Amino acid sequence: MSEPFKTWQCRTCGYIYDEAEGAPLEGLAPGTRWADVPADWICPLCGTPKADFDMVEL
Amino acid sequence: MSIPQEIAWDIVDPQAYADGGRVDRAFAWLRQNAPVEVAELEAFDPFWVVTRHADILEVERQNDLFHNGDRATVLTNKEADKKVREMMGGSPHLVRSLVQMDNPDHMNYRRLTQSWFMPQNLKPLEARIREIAKSFVDRMAEYGGRCDFARDVAFLYPLHVIMEVMGVPEADEPRMLKLTQELFGSADPDLNRTGKEVTDVSEGVDTVQSVVMDFMNYFNAITEDRRAKPREDLCSVIANGQIEGQPLGHLEAMSYYIIAATAGHDTTSNTTAGGLWALAENPDQFARLKADPSLIPSYLEESIRWVTPVKHFMRTATADAEVGGRKIKKGDWMMLAYPSGNRDEAVFADPYRFDIARSPNKHVAFGYGAHVCLGQHLGRVEMRVLWEELLPRLESVELDGEPRRMAANFVCGPKSVPIRYKMH
Repeated sequence: MSEPFKTWQCRTCGYIYDEAEGAPLEGLAPGTRWADVPADWICPLCGTPKADFDMVEL
Repeated sequence: MSIPQEIAWDIVDPQAYADGGRVDRAFAWLRQNAPVEVAELEAFDPFWVVTRHADILEVERQNDLFHNGDRATVLTNKEADKKVREMMGGSPHLVRSLVQMDNPDHMNYRRLTQSWFMPQNLKPLEARIREIAKSFVDRMAEYGGRCDFARDVAFLYPLHVIMEVMGVPEADEPRMLKLTQELFGSADPDLNRTGKEVTDVSEGVDTVQSVVMDFMNYFNAITEDRRAKPREDLCSVIANGQIEGQPLGHLEAMSYYIIAATAGHDTTSNTTAGGLWALAENPDQFARLKADPSLIPSYLEESIRWVTPVKHFMRTATADAEVGGRKIKKGDWMMLAYPSGNRDEAVFADPYRFDIARSPNKHVAFGYGAHVCLGQHLGRVEMRVLWEELLPRLESVELDGEPRRMAANFVCGPKSVPIRYKMH
């Protein structure tokens, strides 16, 4: 059984990246795991780098 | 080359923002002909005007290179700047909120309240926000089909929400609204404290300072109360907060209350009023929204882009830099022109068209980078819930007279949106 999808949150602005939903407008298809989000990806709301996101429980 | 005088005047003149078209034309000319250029007006120190979306993002994301607090964060003329510095012991700021701070203070002070405004922490508030929204929708129904949507709904609903979050008593909301309008509407005789055109700069600064002092006197009492009896509210967090083991400085604490009690509702009010104005002027868009309420979130993003209630912030270069191919010198002062970024033809197709389904819609109305609007998620929740309640009951809406905008060049939007409507 595959691992449940997780959610990640930008520390600067609170934007939430939900693995289940992805971010289609940013080129990330639904189901894209955080580990597969490119390292140079930035928060679409504020430009914070991927490294400054935390995993959160919603 | 610097910006032609008449164009430069249009981007500083509060009346140009009241007109709407005048400032739009000035920014369109700048994007086309001089997207990063210096404005040289006699009354002002020279400042760069950054008008393209990409250049605004470029400046906003480099918070060490472009500071908020080194010079005035809001466009201020030379005489007013001198007077403020005399009053404030050399500082160019009458208040010192997150907006005027740079790191490390900015990060430390932002963290104090940041969790309050995160989406997951707003969810428990949503039921209460919905009750408030419903009460305003009921009130609209009671008006019998005519109201001034700005004054009767849009100014009051976000005010009530943020005052509950802060813990300010409902009886004091009219006072908070008046002070907010006197602060942001200081150049508008309909809203400012004197009720007159501001012709004397010194008197204008004194009037704004008197508004700030009234806010401070009010929140001094709140601080005492919350230190004695802390509650589950935002004012208690500010009153009892600590930065690196020390209580907040007095100016910083007062400024924190003031920014929450002003920007915490006025921007959402402007957007709500302007969004409805746009629907009333575009019946095809209203019909589309009625037919497909799943478009509410994108309608709201378009309203935020359309109104762009924060017209600018200033930044100061901390070192020589390059923006949009222009050499910026250390110490140069720069205006980030958000309404212009949000009409940038390179990013937004047909940018002067109000399109409730616009996608993508990567507007810069909330800013970008470390200073991105702290309350953006709250604003979105408030507007979404209002429209989830209002849309099913609103059968038709049209303008019932000429809407009017505030005369202001910093935070502003509609001050009157008279409408006729049918609802059940």
